[in-house]
Amino acid sequence: MSPRVIRRQDYSLSEEQLQLSKVFASLFERESPSVRVRAAEPVGFDADLWQQLTGAGVISMALPEAVGGDDATLVDLALVAEEFGRSMAPVPLIDAMTAARLLAAVGAPEGVVRALAAGTKTATIALHPFHARERQLISSGAMADIVVGLDGDALVMSEGPPPAAVANLACAPLAWRDLSTNDHTRSIVAEGLAAELAFAHAVLEWKALMAAAQTGIANGARILASEYVTERHAFGVPIGTFQAISHPIVDIAAGVEGARRLALRAAWFLEHEPECALGDVLMAFVAASDVANRAASFGIHALGGLGFTLESDMQLYFRRARGWTLLAGDPQADLQQLGDHLYGPEPTH
Amino acid sequence: MDFGIVELAPDVIAFWDTEVVPFMEEFLSDEVLEQERHHGNGFVPEYRRALGAKGWLANATSNGDDDTVGLDPLRAAIVAAEESRRARSLFPVLGSNDLVTTVVNQFGSAELREHIGPGLRRGDIHCCLGYTEPDCGSDAAAIRTRAIRDGDEWVINGQKMFSTGAHLCQYVMVTARTNPDASKHQSITVLLVPLEHPGVEVQGIATLGGERTNFVYLDEARVADEYRLGPVDQGWQVASGSLAAEHGMSDGSATHSDVDQTTVDVIEALGRSLSWRDEFPVVLAAAERWARNAQRRDRSYEIDDPAVRLRLARIALDCEVARITPDPYGRVVASDLLIRGTDELLAMIGAAGVVTAGEDGAVADGVLEWAHRFAQGTSIYGGTTDIQRNLIAEHVLGLPRHRGALKR
Repeated sequence: MSPRVIRRQDYSLSEEQLQLSKVFASLFERESPSVRVRAAEPVGFDADLWQQLTGAGVISMALPEAVGGDDATLVDLALVAEEFGRSMAPVPLIDAMTAARLLAAVGAPEGVVRALAAGTKTATIALHPFHARERQLISSGAMADIVVGLDGDALVMSEGPPPAAVANLACAPLAWRDLSTNDHTRSIVAEGLAAELAFAHAVLEWKALMAAAQTGIANGARILASEYVTERHAFGVPIGTFQAISHPIVDIAAGVEGARRLALRAAWFLEHEPECALGDVLMAFVAASDVANRAASFGIHALGGLGFTLESDMQLYFRRARGWTLLAGDPQADLQQLGDHLYGPEPTH
Repeated sequence: MDFGIVELAPDVIAFWDTEVVPFMEEFLSDEVLEQERHHGNGFVPEYRRALGAKGWLANATSNGDDDTVGLDPLRAAIVAAEESRRARSLFPVLGSNDLVTTVVNQFGSAELREHIGPGLRRGDIHCCLGYTEPDCGSDAAAIRTRAIRDGDEWVINGQKMFSTGAHLCQYVMVTARTNPDASKHQSITVLLVPLEHPGVEVQGIATLGGERTNFVYLDEARVADEYRLGPVDQGWQVASGSLAAEHGMSDGSATHSDVDQTTVDVIEALGRSLSWRDEFPVVLAAAERWARNAQRRDRSYEIDDPAVRLRLARIALDCEVARITPDPYGRVVASDLLIRGTDELLAMIGAAGVVTAGEDGAVADGVLEWAHRFAQGTSIYGGTTDIQRNLIAEHVLGLPRHRGALKR
């Protein structure tokens, strides 16, 4: 018997999507050059830039029309996330988009969602479910006004002044938070299966968008390495003429192409057929994390001693390749989940 | 961007089930495929003639300049998918044949196209490649085979290697040096040589992947000038165009190039949606079957072990990356990951993995044992992945040209 399900495999982008990608590429390039990324370190947050971006509508575009948003698709958001990653802009773009969408989806108080859309408040998401008395490291936790997370079967939200940042590999605004019952400011926004499903979906959105951002990091590192090895001479020739240099760069460029397709496809399935998205999201996240890490690590090597100095922008990519993705846990755990999903006795959904 | 399910009209489903499936069951039966695996001929002429008789080859080979009725893109994709599900990796000659057909359509004289066109469309005539020689492969312009003009004919002397399918094909497309005084890229002419001609001798070469390939010896072989493809001494342009197409050959993506771009797009889009399109998913599925059915001493199955599922997941990811990475990167990625993946899967199975097809205890009909060998060739034929990385570095990424690069 022949399988009769044929899916289209159309990875092409519409004119509007290409335009959107271009607009954000030039916006981030103009507003977040590496000097600004460095200036925001070590905390990794630039309030002026964030105000400018939310003012331009980066969060409202991610929200449904019903709550005053512009209802962009997840594919659109992934395109923005790739350019964000490439620029390494010191703003909580993915965390804030994901948390705002989650709160809007579960019907959080309208005032909260409107404040997030307007950029007067910023929310982030605790990526791992809380258990009693367990704190976790929250991405953007050191600057967000609101943290949303899952405790048991309750989706909870905590609002208040953020705790101090802890210095970290990525120079990101990380902070420890505990949203279990120890937190007296918390409120429950949803409960039961609906809350758990909404949370699980939000984590997948975060991973798909982070996969796109990591694709951008890998691409940025690849371009920086390519420029350097074209200019830098050794033994009388540009070092990019040596295959020991050029071939790994080709492999990284190939990895970027594959990761981009996986990330965009994961976003498409989350948008259109979320029940079929899990495998694609996990694949995208693992592949993009992997190529970003390889790209930045090889990038440092290609730049030689200079790449190892803090003067080099390559170290900025390197820090964020691992420093952003590990917040979601060990990539091997995602692979294990993929294995259980594809090959387990009872596929997980 | 769209990954939605294609609605198939009832007549298309009927075509698939009542025409294509029974056809494949008849002409690509298990017995036929078993024979093919055993002999490694590179294609099955009887199957191709049957396809031609159905009119199902027209899409791939005709330019619409005769009355042949072709298949619409959707039906053509279904035929291609059913073929590849069974045997595409066993049929490398079809890639060469399509490539030569493209060159013939583009550069062949009117007489030549009239002479062999109908046979190509009927599946009676097949062509193979004769670029490589014992002393030159990736440096394809370094050939020693020579052709000298004699009146209306060319007289060819030399030897070609890795002409897969030459023992069953009717023609071989040969590159020959025709001007000893000009530079190496301005002195090559492409000729389509009938393999039955006197002075042409084919000798088999066995390969690790089980496929038979060939030497083609040319000893005072004569061919009429009508069989020349493209201008005299300008064969490098003719050959390098088709070499570029051949770079995608291992994943089947270039087999229809330059025929009808719209058709190609649709076939590509549909073909790729069928996850068994290429070798890797077939191999992975065989390993999964093993893991689901192999029982350990404690009665648990291999797949019950999370470590086994983790290993399979890593390879499933590689398989998907290999499947979707776009050209020109696709072939490099697919080949590297196929080599790594087949090796890892074979190792996972352990001792029984090494048992050959048909023997007692062979796992999944020996598919993995075979694929592990087969994979090694995929980074070599059609130009090595190293050459392709050089091309990408220079032409796609704009890196400086490496020292050993060809001077133009």
